Amino acid sequence: MTYAIEAEGLVKYYGNKQVLQGLNMNVKTGEIFGLIGANGAGKSTTIDCLLGTKKLDQGTVNILGTSPTTKHKSLFEQIGVQFQESAFQNGLTVKEICEITHSLYKNPIDWRTKLADYQLEHHVRSSISTLSGGERQKLCILLATMGQPKLLVLDELTTGLDPVARRQIWNNLRKLNDEGVTILLTSHDMHEIEALCDRILLLKHGNVFMEGTVQEVLSKSGAKSMDDAYLQLTGEGIR
Amino acid sequence: MRTFWLLYVAEFKLSFREMSSFIFGLFLPVGIMVIMGYLSTTNEELVTTFAAVATLGLVSTGVMSLPLSLSSYREKKVLKRYKVTPISPVQLLVAHVFYCFSLSILSMFTVSLVALFGFNMIFPGSIGLFLISYLFVMISIHSIGILIASTSPREKTTAAMSSLLFFSMFILSGATIPFDLLPSVLQSIAQLLPLTHGIELLQSQALGSPFTSYSSLLLLFVITIAATTLSLRFFRWE
Ligand SMILES: Nc1ncnc2c1ncn2[C@@H]1O[C@H](COP(=O)(O)OP(=O)(O)O)[C@@H](O)[C@H]1O
Ligand SMILES: [Mg+2]
Repeated sequence: MTYAIEAEGLVKYYGNKQVLQGLNMNVKTGEIFGLIGANGAGKSTTIDCLLGTKKLDQGTVNILGTSPTTKHKSLFEQIGVQFQESAFQNGLTVKEICEITHSLYKNPIDWRTKLADYQLEHHVRSSISTLSGGERQKLCILLATMGQPKLLVLDELTTGLDPVARRQIWNNLRKLNDEGVTILLTSHDMHEIEALCDRILLLKHGNVFMEGTVQEVLSKSGAKSMDDAYLQLTGEGIR
Repeated sequence: MRTFWLLYVAEFKLSFREMSSFIFGLFLPVGIMVIMGYLSTTNEELVTTFAAVATLGLVSTGVMSLPLSLSSYREKKVLKRYKVTPISPVQLLVAHVFYCFSLSILSMFTVSLVALFGFNMIFPGSIGLFLISYLFVMISIHSIGILIASTSPREKTTAAMSSLLFFSMFILSGATIPFDLLPSVLQSIAQLLPLTHGIELLQSQALGSPFTSYSSLLLLFVITIAATTLSLRFFRWE
């Protein structure tokens, strides 16, 4: 068993506020791993600490066999990231952002064919700001996979999308996973978690509340669906 | 290198689409040069005016475009996004600075063409020294822009600081209203603005008069070093 991500004892403070409380998590190579939890539970912070975009106060991270703070260049050849906010220079067109992103990597994909796979070929010359939410998120996946990464990290990729766009994205992610890409994602959509994830970790106030396969979490909670399980486990249901 | 080139070209296209940098940095200085050209009665007046108007491009890219773009790239997490790629976000910053320099220089050349061919300006000073001084003033003013971007917490704050600095330099530094026509109170305020000293330096080079602007030169030099050091100290990626 090899791990794409091994993290131990992650502690993160924002000022006096402790957001991660000694979190342990492992993502196996080849799996789709779901990080779930209420808003403010610390999902985005965890991702930042794993990738080294925020400094850990304590703990160790091993990502694709190295620490994220050393060998930065070669590591990020192999990792594709989409943060919660899709961050582009205002006013760029799809073609421009694709060309720029394409130039960043040693072994990039052919983005024009991928645009067609993602039904975006009509938007080559459109400004990114004119794309619909679903189109933009598909573009984000395409950009995150531009360097043929081994690991994809996607923070709330499908939040706010309509069901059709969401399914299209699921299909794209499954296809990438079949090709061998390890995926770490966060989501508030329990259907999505059930449909995609091999294993999940439920985060509560910066701590592991429960982890395991979807089946394991369901049986531990005694619930029928992840929706119910989520509400029961977090104790944040409507009482 | 290819990435840098693409980013550089993209900065040009983005700013052209958005237009305000081109309006303030290029069209406005050219317009002002035309008006001032008609108002100038002697060649000396024309040269003095030219040296002042030639700085409008560098002021508008240096204290408007540069800090606004950097702030926006930070706030919109564009810089953070480049942190998780094989390249460093420094490339994007440098590409933007080079775009600013390019637009400044383009603006200066266009203004000089208007003065030379539209109004038959005869340039008495040394072209080489003028160009070197121009580059020096340009770098100096841009270092102030980077300092604004580094210390401002938000895009809105940056916009306020930029506009304040831009319009006070625009009005008081002698780039539009000749310095000597300002009331003495405003003249002393204007002495606090770095551009006033930059224009003084450029005017003396353009006129080819004996060099006496040591204090202006020193002041700009200190500002450049201080602003760059402070920016490196306080810059935040997000
Ligand atoms: N830059 C920051 N400064 C201070 N507090 C922050 C910052 N970013 C996030 N937080 C706080 O840390 C907690 C965890 O945030 P986050 O990791 O974004 O949660 P999630 O992604 O699970 O919604 C929240 O309470 C949030 O308000
Ligand atoms: Mg989040």
